[in-house]
Amino acid sequence: MKLAVSAEGPDLNARAGGRFGTSAYFIIVDPQTMAFEAIRNPGAAGQRAAGIQAVILAISQKVDAVLTGFCSPTAAKYLSENGVRVATGIDATVQDAVRQYLEQIQTQSQTPLDATGARKNKINRESLTHALKISARQLASLLPVLIGVILLVGLFNALISKELLSFLFSGNALRDTLAGSFLGSLMAGNPITSYVIGGELLTSGVSLFGVTAFLVAWVSVGLIQLPAEIAALGRNFAVVRNGLFFILSIIISILTVTVYRVVMELFS
Amino acid sequence: MKIHTGLRNFIFPGSVILIYGILFFFNFDKAFHALLSSTRLSLMLLLPLSLVFTLMFFMNLFLSPAHVTGFLGKKSGARGLILSALAGIISAGPIYAWYPLLKDLKKNGAANSPIAVFLGNRAVKPFLLPVMISYFGWEYVALLTLFTIAGSVATGYIVGVLVQDST
Repeated sequence: MKLAVSAEGPDLNARAGGRFGTSAYFIIVDPQTMAFEAIRNPGAAGQRAAGIQAVILAISQKVDAVLTGFCSPTAAKYLSENGVRVATGIDATVQDAVRQYLEQIQTQSQTPLDATGARKNKINRESLTHALKISARQLASLLPVLIGVILLVGLFNALISKELLSFLFSGNALRDTLAGSFLGSLMAGNPITSYVIGGELLTSGVSLFGVTAFLVAWVSVGLIQLPAEIAALGRNFAVVRNGLFFILSIIISILTVTVYRVVMELFS
Repeated sequence: MKIHTGLRNFIFPGSVILIYGILFFFNFDKAFHALLSSTRLSLMLLLPLSLVFTLMFFMNLFLSPAHVTGFLGKKSGARGLILSALAGIISAGPIYAWYPLLKDLKKNGAANSPIAVFLGNRAVKPFLLPVMISYFGWEYVALLTLFTIAGSVATGYIVGVLVQDST
């Protein structure tokens, strides 16, 4: 058995409890041997999606139960759907919390504390409302930027001359592809924005090679996010990955457009 | 000074509206033409966006971040790469939210290839396909999706070969 205890410090004597998503550490304990590992909680600063990150962390550690002070219903739902029990209301040291938990599961046949047992994923009214709320929130978070882009594209159509576009995108497949990859690598954001810009570039006469490279590079290469990727995954990884995906955006563009033209010719 | 995230989302559209205000003042005709163009674009996006919402709803109903982790946490090898590609395709939200998890997975022994495959396959967004199809047609989108998935898996594998795992 493996338990994850949210704690203020990195050892068994640290205070357990607090909020599951924002506690400073997770102590992963084997209750049989009391061997433990302290993991700093990436969401301790309380940024967005801290609870989900904590859920992901607990699942990736393959723990059987989470012992914490408070756990949001959403996080508890995700955990229980993945077979992880959730025991809340913990207010003791990590060591004592683990001991109390073991005592209770040994003496009770029912779920310990206010634990939520693992249950099967089933669609009910609650999960429908939950999915509807999350989708509405996701779409609402997209809209401000999307509206900004739509208005900007309008300005672009009214103000940017065909001559300037012809200067950037010559119509030469290789040059256009390179220009598209560079432009896509420099820009970032939701892919839907790249579709809108790419679609408008296409109607403005930019070649499909350039637009395709732009679409692929937009999501897979991130010069703006590079410092964040270096910090998270290391310089070598981030530089090699972005470099290779830049080349890939060119290859995908050439392959997709060439095959697309052949297919369209065959079936037209 | 820390700007609230909700407010920060409106800085960009607010700035564009400001440009429109200035343009209306100096060149009414151009501003009106720009607004007409934007209205046409908004109307064109209404139907695809409704489909996007429907797909988002079903993905949120049946998939959770826990599923993504389940796929990404698997061992390496061909199966691991395919599952990582699947995790990238179904993952949602900004890339920044995923960096701490990827860092943690790497610290816990995840190899470089599955992480690179995951990041590459974030380019494929099933719930946004209606918008993409409305612009480029389904034949093009199908080919692009196919090449993106295959290319990302191959490139992710090469990243793993070129970059030594730190563990």
